[in-house]
Amino acid sequence: MKKFFQKYHLEILLILPLTLYIMYFTLLPVLTTINLGFINADTNVFSLENYEYLFGRDDFRKAFSNTVIISILGLIMQLTVGLILALILKKTFKGKGFFRALILTPMGVPTIVSGVALLYIFDTQGYLNELIYRVTEGLKYIGIIASSYKFIPIDWASGGIRTLFMIVFADMWKVTPIVTLLLLAGLESISLQVYEASQIDGASKWQTFKNITLPLLKPSITMTVIIRAVDLFRIFELPMILAGKNTPVIATFAFEEYRLYNNPNISGAAATILLVIIMIFVSLYLKYIDKGEGLA
Amino acid sequence: MKTIGKDRFGKIIDKSYFPLLVVFALVTLIPVYILVKISISEPVDVLTQHPTFLIHNFTLEHWEKVLTSGRLWPAFTKSFVVATLTAIFAIFIATPASYVISRLPKKVKYIVILTLFFTRMFPNVGIALPISVKFIRWNLMDTYTGLVLAHLIEQLPFITWILVGTFEVIPVDLEKSAMIDGASRIRSLISIVIPIATPGIAVASLFVWLNSWNEFTYALYLSLSENTLPLQVYYYVNRGGFFQTATYATILTIPVALITYALQRYLKSDYLGGAIK
Repeated sequence: MKKFFQKYHLEILLILPLTLYIMYFTLLPVLTTINLGFINADTNVFSLENYEYLFGRDDFRKAFSNTVIISILGLIMQLTVGLILALILKKTFKGKGFFRALILTPMGVPTIVSGVALLYIFDTQGYLNELIYRVTEGLKYIGIIASSYKFIPIDWASGGIRTLFMIVFADMWKVTPIVTLLLLAGLESISLQVYEASQIDGASKWQTFKNITLPLLKPSITMTVIIRAVDLFRIFELPMILAGKNTPVIATFAFEEYRLYNNPNISGAAATILLVIIMIFVSLYLKYIDKGEGLA
Repeated sequence: MKTIGKDRFGKIIDKSYFPLLVVFALVTLIPVYILVKISISEPVDVLTQHPTFLIHNFTLEHWEKVLTSGRLWPAFTKSFVVATLTAIFAIFIATPASYVISRLPKKVKYIVILTLFFTRMFPNVGIALPISVKFIRWNLMDTYTGLVLAHLIEQLPFITWILVGTFEVIPVDLEKSAMIDGASRIRSLISIVIPIATPGIAVASLFVWLNSWNEFTYALYLSLSENTLPLQVYYYVNRGGFFQTATYATILTIPVALITYALQRYLKSDYLGGAIK
């Protein structure tokens, strides 16, 4: 042991600050939060009451289901759009660099700002409603829909699935470039020879996609799914900006319990539930869907 | 030949990919356009039943108001100083550590990198809660120091990740030959390895700067009265100040857009996801 320290004293010295920082400012707080969640605020003893209390509350159950719906819907939409874009950007065509730069624009926009921009679009008097209104007016003019029809502006932030969709869309807008780049890197690592071989064998585009591209892309897809899922489960900024109180997610619920109601123990319990969801999802995904192929 | 002739799916793709790309590009650009447009539009164009898509009544009034209100600069300074300090400290803590990690045996390195990845999976609200409780006790609420300490929590694993990749590609032989020439290990590290890694370190620190500049969650937990720029945006969203929100949001975006554009060629997948190699 002593020899080990003598031989590697320099390495240990160099890596020590980082290790200590992560231990003290990340690991310790996480453990503190878990501990807080199991302590009753009044009696200061270990109990499960915080969790009973949480699941007894309607707004927490709503936050829970909202988080799950946002995550699943978000993953499906982001992967679909990201994959389509990656496949398009893998082609060679004129103006590709230009379009690539355009598609990457949201990376230069802070998440909170993307929330603000989409707030204007999804406002009751916002630009999406205005667009729909103009389209319906146009259709009326050419007689496709009855002229008695009157478009009533949609209140996107009124809660329910519409608001969740709005949040998912905002998140998708912001992260599509990242998803696209991750998948594009995966696509570009597939050797051209495989495609040539499939072409010689007369495979159609769909067959090539299904039997060659998707399986070979699996490592990239796995990584993207995990990275995106973790971020979707703990989504915080966009619901705060876009939805306010009527559409809580677990993270905003935990924040409000602490800041507005000064219940660190309840907040800790909610954060712990979030941590557990993330860990369960990642391990389930690795075990059953990826089967260890992507991360090995 | 026959199967290729029947490849209807392939034909649809060949015809439709470009229009599809144009649609995606438009959807990507429109929100940014609307944001900037609102910050330079007269209220008549915006606060109506039917907002206009083009700029009919141009005005710089909102910008003037925001720039002279006296509420912008304290927030701007706080965000700027915190982001800069975070980037500097992140370099000093992460560079030596990532050098060591990059020289570890492959298996150990993989475990270390995976550990760093897992620290990024913890929910922010779970870390920010005890940090906030602790900082109230330490009188670090609303201070630069408190926020820098908090931002380092997220940025250290991120920058370490990137820098391990930077150091990995520098051959060990370079150091060895320097040491044969009589340089000490520290000496060869400082005068051989670090200079080669400098571009990588610079890019990584710019990304850290950006992340800290944008950061919202920890800032929200750790600020009571002195807002950062993102918090200022949030404050105006809640107050319903349509034009101030748009203007502040645009100001917040400008450095991000500039730096991201300048670093475009570094926007590779392993920077973004912090890939597992």
